[in-house]
Amino acid sequence: MSDPLRPEDAPPNLYDDQGNPRFFADPGMDRFVAVVMNLAQEVWVQEERLLALEEAKSGTSIDKDARAKEFIDRVFAPIREA
Amino acid sequence: MSVELQHPMKAEATPEEVARGRFVSAMRSLILNDLAGDMRAAYDRRAAPAFRKEHGRDPATSREAHQALRGDPAFNIYSAMRVQAQKMVWASVAESVEREADRLSAEAAKVADQDGSLTLDPGLDVPKNVHAIDVHLMPGSYTRGADSLEAGAVYDRGLAVFSMGLMGANLDDIGLSMSQYVKQRFPDFAPRRILDTGCMIGHNTLPWKQAYPEADVVAIDAAPGPLTYGSARAKMQGQAVEFRQMCADDLAFEDASFDIVWSSMFLHELSKKQRAKCFEEAYRVLKPGGLVIHMELPPNAQMGAFDGFYLDWDSYYNNEPYYKGYRDEVPRDLCARAGFAEDDFFEFVVPSIGIYGEQAVADAASGDRAEGVGQETTGRLAEGVMWYGFGAWKR
Repeated sequence: MSDPLRPEDAPPNLYDDQGNPRFFADPGMDRFVAVVMNLAQEVWVQEERLLALEEAKSGTSIDKDARAKEFIDRVFAPIREA
Repeated sequence: MSVELQHPMKAEATPEEVARGRFVSAMRSLILNDLAGDMRAAYDRRAAPAFRKEHGRDPATSREAHQALRGDPAFNIYSAMRVQAQKMVWASVAESVEREADRLSAEAAKVADQDGSLTLDPGLDVPKNVHAIDVHLMPGSYTRGADSLEAGAVYDRGLAVFSMGLMGANLDDIGLSMSQYVKQRFPDFAPRRILDTGCMIGHNTLPWKQAYPEADVVAIDAAPGPLTYGSARAKMQGQAVEFRQMCADDLAFEDASFDIVWSSMFLHELSKKQRAKCFEEAYRVLKPGGLVIHMELPPNAQMGAFDGFYLDWDSYYNNEPYYKGYRDEVPRDLCARAGFAEDDFFEFVVPSIGIYGEQAVADAASGDRAEGVGQETTGRLAEGVMWYGFGAWKR
């Protein structure tokens, strides 16, 4: 069911039959992108737990924001435009 | 980076929740900076030329830029990832808010006797656009948890992840930048009563109290929960503000009773009709010599097709149905139709005080007001953001 509160000029084909935005020709891809992001988040959560153990062991602190950026840049490199 | 809230209602998050928040914030940074840049490059390289081939001219409007981009791989990946990242923002804070409901209530109870007040109106007919859709994909929207602290806590914690540090440590960069700008541009102006309309949790209300400590500050919103939270949050930060549940297009205040009527990121959440009424009400409650001032997204008329659409994206894909309709309106006309004289209107761009510093805001206020609205950084939550605002004096 499409949501009645949409911009007046929104073509209905921007959304699927449940009102979710769709972008790719194959609607499965929209969901697949979300799965990849969720999965990357789960891997990062594990990574951050390991970093915490390393910190505890070495007594030094790790810049986790910088590490998260490196992690994301690495994982998502293939989607960047050349 | 995700910021840590500056008051006792901040999350006592598990290490896993901290990691989730950090990931989402960093993910948004990739999308809003890098993938946005890729999309712009793809627009110039593929989408606009294809449009030109078909129509014999460049895309001229936000709508045409959207048409040109639909289906482009860079647009698809940017959009699909931004939608998912938005959902992940709210998901990353939902559990901690639920788990900590009792502690939040206890923290709020501790400051209940502090200066400031909260007046809810259970009889208020909360407008459809506040409760009937999940605004910016926030589950349960602004009325989640009724008048409990829940909606405010989700919003506050969510914004800390969402903003990537660009809205300041206390999520008040917009209010700080704008209030300092007004104070320095109009040094003789001494407002005694200030109204914030559509204040949500009051994050951009408090800077006005800080800028003008002698003034009485009143903050209204249609949704009860965020006000409950905002009132506690203000008290925890030692700011006496009167929070009242009320709609900005139907103010229960006397004529000529305020010196400033302010809002931030609010007008785009209203229908065209509500918005017009809002300006009429602001004009009515302002004293002669009073100032209406709004921080908002910059208008489409002052931006190119791509940059205009970049902001309008939210209207189609982030549950912001009135966003584009608002951006298609002309702020000068909105003020004029409500009774403000055309000569008393002004618009401006303020550098974010958190990013560029106090001196940059002072420079902008002291006459170097040449910041172009049309530049990419204006109104766009990304590196180097600047805020667009406009105002009008009531004679």
